[in-house]
Amino acid sequence: MTGGGLIDAERRSFNRWALAPSLIVLFAIAALPALYLLVVSLTPFQLVNPASSTDFSAPLRNYRLLPGDPRFVNSLFVQAKLSLWGVLLQVLFGMLLALLLHTPSRFVEIARTFFLIPMVLPPIVVAVIWKLIYTPDISPIYYAASLLHVTMPSLTSSVDFALTAIIIADTWEWLPFTFLMVLAALQTIPEEYSEAALVDGASRIQIFFYVTLPFITPILVISAMFRLIDSVKAFPLIFLLTGGGPGSVTEVTNYYAYLLAFDFNEIGYSSAVTIVMLMLVVAVSFGVMWMGRHREAMT
Amino acid sequence: MSGQSGRSAGWGRHVAIGLVLTVLLSPFLWLLQMSFKSNELILQFPPPLIFKPTLENYTSLWRGAFSASFINSLLSASLSTALALLLGTPAAYALSRWAGRGKFALSFAILVTRMAPPIAFTIPFFLFYRWIGLLDTVTGLVLVYTSFNLPLVIWMMQPFFETVPRSLEEAALVDGARTRTVFLEIVLPMVAPGIAATAILCFLYAWNDFFFALILTRTNARTAPVAVVNFMNYEGWEWGKIAAGGSLVMAPVLIFSFAVRRYLVSGLTAGAVKG
Repeated sequence: MTGGGLIDAERRSFNRWALAPSLIVLFAIAALPALYLLVVSLTPFQLVNPASSTDFSAPLRNYRLLPGDPRFVNSLFVQAKLSLWGVLLQVLFGMLLALLLHTPSRFVEIARTFFLIPMVLPPIVVAVIWKLIYTPDISPIYYAASLLHVTMPSLTSSVDFALTAIIIADTWEWLPFTFLMVLAALQTIPEEYSEAALVDGASRIQIFFYVTLPFITPILVISAMFRLIDSVKAFPLIFLLTGGGPGSVTEVTNYYAYLLAFDFNEIGYSSAVTIVMLMLVVAVSFGVMWMGRHREAMT
Repeated sequence: MSGQSGRSAGWGRHVAIGLVLTVLLSPFLWLLQMSFKSNELILQFPPPLIFKPTLENYTSLWRGAFSASFINSLLSASLSTALALLLGTPAAYALSRWAGRGKFALSFAILVTRMAPPIAFTIPFFLFYRWIGLLDTVTGLVLVYTSFNLPLVIWMMQPFFETVPRSLEEAALVDGARTRTVFLEIVLPMVAPGIAATAILCFLYAWNDFFFALILTRTNARTAPVAVVNFMNYEGWEWGKIAAGGSLVMAPVLIFSFAVRRYLVSGLTAGAVKG
């Protein structure tokens, strides 16, 4: 008995020593910066005016300005458009791709790995790749269009197509993610389900809608939420392809916050924008976490 | 799309997969072939199917400032990986053996750190570094990268520790070994593959970073992804060099990714979903 107690005490002390460094470092480089961001968001801090960093005379001023700032409101709509279309296309095409590649074959197994390339590329390289595709002088697409006697507008500087150009590039980059998630889910469906349905005379379409789809719905939702959270971070594509333009057609909230802080030097106001964004991300993350825990209950 | 050819892969399905793969990878291959072309060839349409590849873009790039940026990238990514592993591995082990309260809260906090948009960290880090003079240093980058790599290590390593049978540890403990010894000499060697996979993912995340490096560095500590972009903005449209820079930045990523492809999903979803 006493031996067990000693082991427990020794284990507890080990746990303390094992956890403490990580917790201290995480506190210092993640929690403190977040708190500092919150504090700065309560000031009208501008880099050119150091005294303004401690001016708490009107702490909620930045937040009051937000609803009346047309650029901020516009950026939320742009973000919503980019996120919704991006997530929709990625989930749809990722699922179709997974269904296509869900088949036992040596060739297909090797091919799967190559489908992952766009996702693992450094995001800035993805942006460079699409810059090459969208630049008329050197792009094979523009050449192909000219062969067909079609004059294509410059996609990334056109008010009508700039956001679509970003969505296409973003979908290309993240399609492998939903593909991989759905494929993993498909592989867990017991074969007997679809075999039994086949015996009962169900068509392939019916099997998809009544057997496969219900089975993979939770994973579709979870991948969609992960993509939703990450779509808020889309930066390199916008930075390199459109710079938020033309006008503010592709200026998402993240990009607006970047411009505010590091172009206009409005650190305080930018922090408030970032805090709002952060709260949205936290809310969605909480949803993901909750669903991850309740996945077994859902299926 | 899943239909006609049935469960066993018919030739129709193989052809379809080949076609989709070609279309999807063509933008990537376009960059790659461009990096081996001279500028005259790049502007030539229709593009010649067979051309004499040149390494000129790569060599002139490497002779410039790019090599220093490449080394900065290597340094900051490896050092932050090492730091995150050193701190995070014991923590992950302790957490995997601990079923106490607060585990959900801690897991959630770690997930949020992974999910937060980089700008949320960039503003405070920028102000702090400006104050203590860490702007434009590799040390500064290492610290920032550790802020997302440490949570990643804690997340990724837990399932690996859970696969180690507890009976093994208990036997050693009953024999009078200290927990520290058990951890270092019995458990750690058993999770070596997990550590390798986690290390590679950490390295890739730090290597792929663009935003932090864009804001927190100027010239001395500039990383390779920022160098490629600067190249576009300041040295004119030398497409061959830009393509070569992009190819160099993605080379280590492609090599390492193939090594850890099995763990890509759990790394990306930060453990909320068991891939």
